[in-house]
Amino acid sequence: MQLIENLRLAFTSLAANKMRALLTMLGIIIGISSVIMITTIGTSIQKTLTNTFNQMGESNFFDVYLMQSFDSEEEINYDLEMSEEDMFTRDMIDRLTAEYGDHFTPRLSQSFGNATVHNTDGQEFTVSIEGELSQSKNSDHLRGRTISQRDNQEGMYTIYVSDLFVSQYCKDGSDPIGQTVELTLDSGISADFVIVGTFELPSFYDRMYPPGTSEMEKVTGVTVPLDTMLKLTHQEQEPMMYLTVGWNTDYDPEVLKQELQDFFDKEYEDKPNYDVMIENEQVYLEMINTIINVITIAISVIAAISLIVGGVGVMNIMLVSITERTKEIGIRKALGAQNGAIRMQFVVEAILICLIGGVIGIIMGITGGMLIGIIAKSLVTQFYPDYAELIAITVQPSIAAIMVAVLFSVLTGVFFGYYPANKAAKMDPIEALRYE
Amino acid sequence: MHEPVISMRNIIKRYYIGKPNELQILNGISLDVEKGEFLAIVGQSGSGKSTLMNMIGALDRPTEGTYSLNGVDISTLDDTQLSRIRNQEIGFVFQTFNLISRTSALKNVEMPMMYAGMPRKERMKRAKELLEIVDMADRASHQPNELSGGQKQRVAIARAMANHPSILLADEPTGALDSRTGRMIMDLFHKLHKEEGTTIVLITHSPELAQECDRIVTISDGSIISDTGVRENAAD
Repeated sequence: MQLIENLRLAFTSLAANKMRALLTMLGIIIGISSVIMITTIGTSIQKTLTNTFNQMGESNFFDVYLMQSFDSEEEINYDLEMSEEDMFTRDMIDRLTAEYGDHFTPRLSQSFGNATVHNTDGQEFTVSIEGELSQSKNSDHLRGRTISQRDNQEGMYTIYVSDLFVSQYCKDGSDPIGQTVELTLDSGISADFVIVGTFELPSFYDRMYPPGTSEMEKVTGVTVPLDTMLKLTHQEQEPMMYLTVGWNTDYDPEVLKQELQDFFDKEYEDKPNYDVMIENEQVYLEMINTIINVITIAISVIAAISLIVGGVGVMNIMLVSITERTKEIGIRKALGAQNGAIRMQFVVEAILICLIGGVIGIIMGITGGMLIGIIAKSLVTQFYPDYAELIAITVQPSIAAIMVAVLFSVLTGVFFGYYPANKAAKMDPIEALRYE
Repeated sequence: MHEPVISMRNIIKRYYIGKPNELQILNGISLDVEKGEFLAIVGQSGSGKSTLMNMIGALDRPTEGTYSLNGVDISTLDDTQLSRIRNQEIGFVFQTFNLISRTSALKNVEMPMMYAGMPRKERMKRAKELLEIVDMADRASHQPNELSGGQKQRVAIARAMANHPSILLADEPTGALDSRTGRMIMDLFHKLHKEEGTTIVLITHSPELAQECDRIVTISDGSIISDTGVRENAAD
């Protein structure tokens, strides 16, 4: 007999006893909704962390620190200052690029102080100059492109500016990209730079100035090629104790980290007093996500135990229902229903109870999870307004958990429905017909 | 040579076999029923007529002896095959109607056809025709609790006829009805017998009802004690 036929029978049977059906489903509803709620919270925390990290800037880079060695056998001389010649040098970085250019992009930057600019109306305003070896597009990127390694290699006079700079400079509202800006350094050196791209300032930038500060008084950072700037100002790269190295996301970060560590260990082979430490926030994020995953799964499994209790409830009610309907089973058998048809009828009924319970549970779980998310968001906004913008609270139900929940509901129905259904199927038709 | 519809040879039925309370209900019954017969099986309660009815209706298997229904030996069939026989060859009419509650008259009549695997549209059409025959077409959508006893029994008869069974097996069909309604049900059986040529086996304890049938088989203590054979114009 077809499934549709059985579904119709099951619906009729459930509709005849709505209250009982609902109470039977309760166990399943509670079980499924708690699993869905927990997984929704788990996924939301992960999503929030990831989005917050991404909002703070891209995270596919390593932080490389130079530290004085602590595991050396000799007495550590705490008075010893780190001498400049021991620090990370430009040569070292160029060697890294030459050797592993495909894997790593060092993000060297150096500040070159303030410069003055005259806008299209002739008004003067100040910017602070940052030289960069290479820049990646962050989420605050608006238009055009960023400063590239090529700009450095070819000594180009390019500049990457903020949206505030655009409104300070282009008083006529013209397109900033391609326009030439003359920067005059405090040292008197000046040069023309071509605008290649723009980015958006974070919204908290305004709060750094007292209210009423005019637009022209505000100072924003502009980015220019580091090497161009070094040449212009007749400077050498300052040695550094800290370095940021971007990595190519096509490769495994763990392998790249080791590669980078090996490179620097080799560079510092003959300087045992120094250690190079490499850290990466992406790796931390992944670690945190893994921990949250494990916790979510562990709590879900505990919540899933209530599903077993719910399933036993379904089995119990199915047994009662079958006893009540003994006569009906007898009649059906007398009319020619085969054992398999009777078994299928009751299994489908049990599945339907569990599936409806499961769907209600999923809806309740998602609603509950979303509600908790909204409450969390409003609490953060209320008590930590300064951080609220930095924390990208995202509420997202786990699709995988929903699919598993549906599957689990059906399986609960089959598992706990089979025994009563089989009992019904094996009834002796004569005995069943005689049952009052 | 033609085959009788029912052919029973030395049917013995025992319960609690091998236990101290072993009970023999049927003591070697032999019975032939031809196609188109209207037969009454009469007996007091405890005579074994219910057991015989279960046997004829393929609800039960004999302990000993052979029973062939349209040439098929029932005693060797498994549960699934017996279900198919009940579905295709037997139409049950019970004393207490045994309609399925909270299910419309039409759906009740459709049920044997559903288990036979007939498509939905086809069986709805057939069920409506059947309700027409028993004069219940206007109550097709009514549920059993909205019908009177006589109406319920007419729906039950329509259901029994659904898959064109070889035998209509009626167990005290008027037992739960008043005499006037009972009369109407008996008239319906006569109508089906005459117009559709249905083979009917009526099980009853009432000699008056039995008198209406073509042939009366009386059983007592698990044995046939008399068989009138086919009588002409018994109903008149």
